[in-house]
Amino acid sequence: MSKSLKLFAAIGLILASTSLAQAQDADAGAKVFKKCKACHAVGDGARNRVGPHLNSVFGRKAASIEGFKYSKAMSVAGSGGLVWNDETLAAFLTKPRKMMKGTKMAFSGLKKEKDRANLLAFLKSFSPDAASAAAPETPKKQEIAAAPAPTEPKAKPVAAKDAPIPEHGVFHLGRAALVEEVKAWDIDIRPDGQGLPTGRGTVAQGEPIYTENCAVCHGDFGEGTGRWPILAGGQNTLTDERPEKTIGSYWPYLSTVYDYIRRAMPFGDARSLSDDDVYAVTAYLLFLNDIVTDEEFELSNENFNNTRLPNEANFFADNRKEEPQNTARSEPCMTDCKPGKAEVTMRARVLDVTPDSKEGEGAGAIE
Amino acid sequence: MPEKQIDRPGTDKGLSRRKLLTAGVAAGGALATGAVSAKAASTPDPLITEIQDWNRYLGDGVDANPYGMPSEFEKNVVRRDVAWLTADSKSSINFTPLHELDGIITPNGLCFERHHGGVAEINPVDHRLMINGLVDKPLVFTMEDLKRFPRENRVYFLECAANSGMEWRGAQLNGCQFTHGMVHNVMYTGIPLKHILNEAGVKASAKWLLPEGADASAMTRSLPIEKAMDDCLVAFKMNGEALRPEQGYPVRLVVPGWEGNMWIKWLRRIELGDAPWHQREETSKYTDLMANGKARRFTWEMDVKSVITNPSPQAPITHGKGQTVVTGVAWSGAGKIKRVDVSIDGGRNWKTARIDGPSLSKSIHRFYYDFEWDGSELFLQSRAIDEVGNVQPTKNELRAARGVNSIYHNNGIQTWHVKADGSAENVEIS
Ligand code: HEC
Ligand code: HEC
Repeated sequence: MSKSLKLFAAIGLILASTSLAQAQDADAGAKVFKKCKACHAVGDGARNRVGPHLNSVFGRKAASIEGFKYSKAMSVAGSGGLVWNDETLAAFLTKPRKMMKGTKMAFSGLKKEKDRANLLAFLKSFSPDAASAAAPETPKKQEIAAAPAPTEPKAKPVAAKDAPIPEHGVFHLGRAALVEEVKAWDIDIRPDGQGLPTGRGTVAQGEPIYTENCAVCHGDFGEGTGRWPILAGGQNTLTDERPEKTIGSYWPYLSTVYDYIRRAMPFGDARSLSDDDVYAVTAYLLFLNDIVTDEEFELSNENFNNTRLPNEANFFADNRKEEPQNTARSEPCMTDCKPGKAEVTMRARVLDVTPDSKEGEGAGAIE
Repeated sequence: MPEKQIDRPGTDKGLSRRKLLTAGVAAGGALATGAVSAKAASTPDPLITEIQDWNRYLGDGVDANPYGMPSEFEKNVVRRDVAWLTADSKSSINFTPLHELDGIITPNGLCFERHHGGVAEINPVDHRLMINGLVDKPLVFTMEDLKRFPRENRVYFLECAANSGMEWRGAQLNGCQFTHGMVHNVMYTGIPLKHILNEAGVKASAKWLLPEGADASAMTRSLPIEKAMDDCLVAFKMNGEALRPEQGYPVRLVVPGWEGNMWIKWLRRIELGDAPWHQREETSKYTDLMANGKARRFTWEMDVKSVITNPSPQAPITHGKGQTVVTGVAWSGAGKIKRVDVSIDGGRNWKTARIDGPSLSKSIHRFYYDFEWDGSELFLQSRAIDEVGNVQPTKNELRAARGVNSIYHNNGIQTWHVKADGSAENVEIS
């Protein structure tokens, strides 16, 4: 480490400790907590959600909430003596995955010092013992100081000089992909069922999996909580003023449901469900959408193609070129193109949904 | 630092029209401190007659910023988001500040962001690109392997299909950053995709590709092989430097002229197949719902489009009447822009604007309309025409053809109402 870098790290430490003395604002912290809300609850009756509840988090040993399934990394840190306090929380929340490699908290971090300080003040108000837990010595200080110094990325010349040049292709670049490697990444599924893994699951098996892993965001009945996506309902609304596009009302193919859940859900913990779990949850979503009604219905790779989604026939190929405004290819008008003076028929101000305007969500949110 | 700094309106994230007005025009003068037109002076200007600090004392030496940053007076030039649009910032969007830019290139730090599972942080040493499916030999490449292929440099716009998607039901957001800011224009350095595919040997039965990202959404889209073999690139540099993490570092797909969602970031795999996959982003999303309840799919190409960036709601006219620059950007997924017309009276009469700077296929074009403003209200519009002859339609023409629920592909003509005080508002007009 160069001299100036060391100095820099030292300054960083001083800053990190003094800034906590700065005025902290629990109200402002409540706003910052919005970033945590999708996954954490605090206050009366707070339950575990995607993450553990955060009541009395100050002074609490990491990974100590009974019944919550922590990552191995968090459990190890907890049994190794990690206790949550001003310093450890600040370090964790700055960049969770930097402080704790392998944590399953899917949150990139709070970059702003002030946000962290305010948030901690807010969390403290739910931690009656916060005062007594005033920062016992922890190893965290070192971790902050030891934040990886920028390494000079040095390109190492490869010692593969003697390796034979492969024969494939034109440029002879790359190497053969192994069967196991293709299998690990190739998880896509097509409407004809190509790609489906062997497995099965029933509606009844899907319900608890859904309740535990999906309902916090998507609602107990797939109705969506807050602005999280709706997964069920909306049948016969596609011509309404406010259509509700769901698996049951809009999606053309069931394969997409399986494929997407397996590759991307639960949000923040992708690839954590087994293939059978995904069959079961998919079956449960069919049930929530009234496409199957029998709780004993079992979905498997064998019967997958027997189920069709109701809206399949209502998709058609791009035909924008045939729209009137595109077929009438006359020279555009240059003078006296419209009669009378222009009159305002609608202004953005009326809605005033531009960011930071206090009220309101826009009418046509994009999805 | 002397106190007489220029004001930086809206340095905080997310700028409201109301705030803008109080910060600027309505409060009178806050903005004007930063933007003073030279007027006849009776007393000498102290900025000229007095020696200024920056003229006397030495400034920073080299290396004050090993990676250079914009002037501190440009702090308001940032991407901004619209929090209510999505449930969570890890599957969300922010917008390019078009009204602060000029020329045709979007600086890397200002290119709008849209992710579905947050920004993947990948050490290039740990990145792999796999080609599998209907090929003679499935292959794996490291970044070092990729950098040994012959490269090309190309400038392309990338527009999210949902750009202007909030405006289908009428004027909604006040500022071209929000109405049109899901577009950027960058010079990519990359490898023609066909080189990489040929290396694995494409089977005759292969008709479709499925590029896939390495991020937490494992983003996928089906892409027809003709496009892949035509002009797609596998890019690792933008505007000369490495891709930014939020733009897919270390490597992304470039699909010129086609909707941004297909430009898979953090590209880790390309599968070849004989039919499309109908992934979530081409069924549930990125399909265009028509008024009759049926939906268009595979609407890949981005239509001819333009917008006036200055003046606009976030960039009012502050200098009063007289010589005035109207400027904006135009682009088309079908090729070059042939012409841009500007109207100051809400589409009654049009004048052809001047295109300046490089005119490249599937790239943003910059246009200017220089005129003498008489201080009366303006209804500013721009209308782009591309080399194929596509003419940018009005919003009402689009609504007549599609209804208001299609979310995507809104390329309608935008109107800004500029009032006598120079402030501007997003409106719809008769
Ligand atoms: C996307 C979901 C998500 C978000 C957003 C999130 N967390 Fe977490 N959080 C988790 C999960 C999951 C865990 C458990 C981590 C583990 O086991 O590795 C966790 C663990 C924690 C812990 C440790 C608790 C314990 O019992 O040891 C704290 C403290 C915490 N989060 C605070 C926060 C705060 C504060 C925020 C907002 C700034 C936040 N989290 C945002 C999901 C989230
Ligand atoms: C932490 C919140 C969260 C949890 C938990 C979660 N999801 Fe999601 N889900 C999301 C978000 C956010 C999206 C939209 C992502 C995007 O647009 O990129 C989404 C999208 C979806 C979609 C597609 C919706 C559409 O209309 O396109 C499905 C299906 C889905 N989730 C199923 C599930 C299932 C099944 C589970 C449980 C195994 C689950 N989700 C758990 C947040 C969550």
